[in-house]
Amino acid sequence: MTSADVVLSYCRRFYDAHQYTNTGPLSRALEERLAALHGAAYCKVFSSSFWALALAVRALALPGRSEVIVPSLADRRVADVAAWCQLKPRWCDVDADTLALSAAAVEPRVSHETALVLACHPISGWAQAGELETLAERSGVPLLFDSVTSSGETLEGRRIGTFGNAECFSLGAGSLVDGFKGGYLTTDDGALSTEVSLTRGFGFNGHDNVEHLGFNAKLNELHAAMALASLDDLDTRIARSRERRGAYEAMLRAIPGVRLRGREEGGREAPPGVIVELTEAWPSGTEETLEILRAGSVDARRYCPADLPALADRTAGSSSRSRAARLADRLVVLPSGDEVSLEDIGRTCALLGHIEATTARPGEGWPR
Amino acid sequence: MIDAKRRASDLAVLGGPPAFERPLPVGQLYFPSWDRFERAVRDLLSRRGASHGALTASLEEQLAAFFGVRHVVMVTNATLGLAMGAAALRLRGKVVLPSFTFVASAQALTWAGVDPVFCDVDPVSHQVTPATVEAALDDEVSAVLAVNLWGGTCGPRALEDFARARDLRLVFDSAHGAGVHADGAPLGRFGDLEVFSLHATKVLSATEGGCICTDDDELADRLRRMRGPGAGELPVGGRTGAHATFSDAQAAVGLLSLAAFPEIRANNERLFRRYEEALTGIPGITMLAPVGAERSNYQSVVLQIDEAALGLSRDGLVGALHAENVVARRYFNPGVHRMVPYRDEPRRRTLALPVTERLCATLVQLPIGALVTDETVERIASLVRALRRYAPKLTEAAA
Repeated sequence: MTSADVVLSYCRRFYDAHQYTNTGPLSRALEERLAALHGAAYCKVFSSSFWALALAVRALALPGRSEVIVPSLADRRVADVAAWCQLKPRWCDVDADTLALSAAAVEPRVSHETALVLACHPISGWAQAGELETLAERSGVPLLFDSVTSSGETLEGRRIGTFGNAECFSLGAGSLVDGFKGGYLTTDDGALSTEVSLTRGFGFNGHDNVEHLGFNAKLNELHAAMALASLDDLDTRIARSRERRGAYEAMLRAIPGVRLRGREEGGREAPPGVIVELTEAWPSGTEETLEILRAGSVDARRYCPADLPALADRTAGSSSRSRAARLADRLVVLPSGDEVSLEDIGRTCALLGHIEATTARPGEGWPR
Repeated sequence: MIDAKRRASDLAVLGGPPAFERPLPVGQLYFPSWDRFERAVRDLLSRRGASHGALTASLEEQLAAFFGVRHVVMVTNATLGLAMGAAALRLRGKVVLPSFTFVASAQALTWAGVDPVFCDVDPVSHQVTPATVEAALDDEVSAVLAVNLWGGTCGPRALEDFARARDLRLVFDSAHGAGVHADGAPLGRFGDLEVFSLHATKVLSATEGGCICTDDDELADRLRRMRGPGAGELPVGGRTGAHATFSDAQAAVGLLSLAAFPEIRANNERLFRRYEEALTGIPGITMLAPVGAERSNYQSVVLQIDEAALGLSRDGLVGALHAENVVARRYFNPGVHRMVPYRDEPRRRTLALPVTERLCATLVQLPIGALVTDETVERIASLVRALRRYAPKLTEAAA
């Protein structure tokens, strides 16, 4: 848990300066530290990762084009960001192992209407970042990464935060860098950095001069204080995150029908969460499993809302369910943020074990 | 009476030292005492995970009582609240709003996918009225976004009657309006919904924050589900996910701010009256009283400048005050119809809003709030007198 003393020592700085928001000294300090963490030239902080994405999409999208290529297995925010930015999602199926976009899957979807490619790094794997960069350069289409769950990681020898035109991350509760709520963007593009810096504050450059269509997407100083304190503690948070992941690995191994997704030996440095797949061997439906977990005070959720890949399939006019749709039905996110203890993980796994042991299989007299 | 500028050369804009050591901004900037804030932060951090959303729920309940409404939905900030309100009401086509407002009012509509149509404001009240809205109406207008300015109001009941008679939706941008009473009720219950700001510069503060008020059960449910993430989110598609949550950390500050509201309002009123006294009799300076309000929160000090009588233009006055570290503001300047991207649309290039244009060229806001004392008010009034007295020297120096 982040130390209250450390949080308050940061808070004292904005308190004494009477500056509680509007890109105050703590937000600026946070931006410098996050840029350094990711090895990026620039970092800008926002009220949330979602609105960081939305402002980045608006800034990067090629003018006059109507579509954004997005994965059809993802958090609902990819559909929401397209809607708020008045772009049509052009859905793209994901790789069965990584649950992410590959360049081979994206390329046939690039057209004269493509304004942007929005690739996500799911909790359990990676989008083909380098190959997508190559595709983006070749096609002239901007590439934005939703790296919301990927702070502190490396990929293909580079730090996450330096891929594509920009990447967006979360400062929300449970994130590796926890600011209660918030988000940030990293980029090596100075012009993009300047533009989103203005648009998050209503587009103002100076007191009265609006230069862009803006919004309020500012991070307040209280959230910045919490995030800075969380950064001070980063190594410990990464170690605890690995410990929680390890606990899930050890306990879930013993439960048939539950497959822990994504982690390989020597894999991600700072696993941001836990996705499990309820395989064919799992005796209960996903919704029923979630109901039981929630009744047991386990804050589990679907990895991807069921209606998102269904929407993608309908949009594509597909008569059969895509891989994304089949996977979406089976993927569950288990709680693993900093507030989750090893005892909590034990209780969660025990509950899953109980479901597995006590739910009748088809042919045993009960419908599944 | 304080009079530190005995000679023209004492003015900062003519080389003298500034009247204030540190910049004095416009903006309420009230914040809980350190002791109370520290206790709240320690308590919040000690129960994280166990009480997710509890403080926000408590703030919503208390604000519902404060505003006299059935539902309060706290969101990240008021601009997002307005955009969500427009999306939740499924507004389409055009929405009429005054150009004389903070730019966020229009930006929220643009993000929600509706087309802002700008109207003028009343020359006396400076607020939008049924008459000014009527002048901008056409068959494609589906709603009105009315704004309650400066701790006063635009006469919400008259606008409700107007909107009802024309089958228009009605939303109030009440960013300035927490604690204001008009037409026999607190702001909060009027129209389809109202949005208040809990930005640090407003009378109620959560550092940032937006408060959507409505008595409509179905609308409130839709807003909560749009706010997400969480139980019962709306199906994917369209602007059904706003990702607009409000943190318990913000709620902790908001609860303390709400508890202090009576003292905040009383202090604002006292300072407001002090300004009225201190600025009386200065030619070219008219201090505006909050209009349309039975009870104001006195969140703004707004002056109208008559250049001929003052001997100094509004911009000249603002520049000279800035040099003294009084960060006076030209809210709103220019009118939103003259701001990017709206000004670049061909149909707006010929749009004539003469009252708005005049107000944008002649109004100034002075600081009021937590950083202002009686002495501050006296000192600022003295500066204004001195600037008028030495206006010819300022004009000479600028030439």
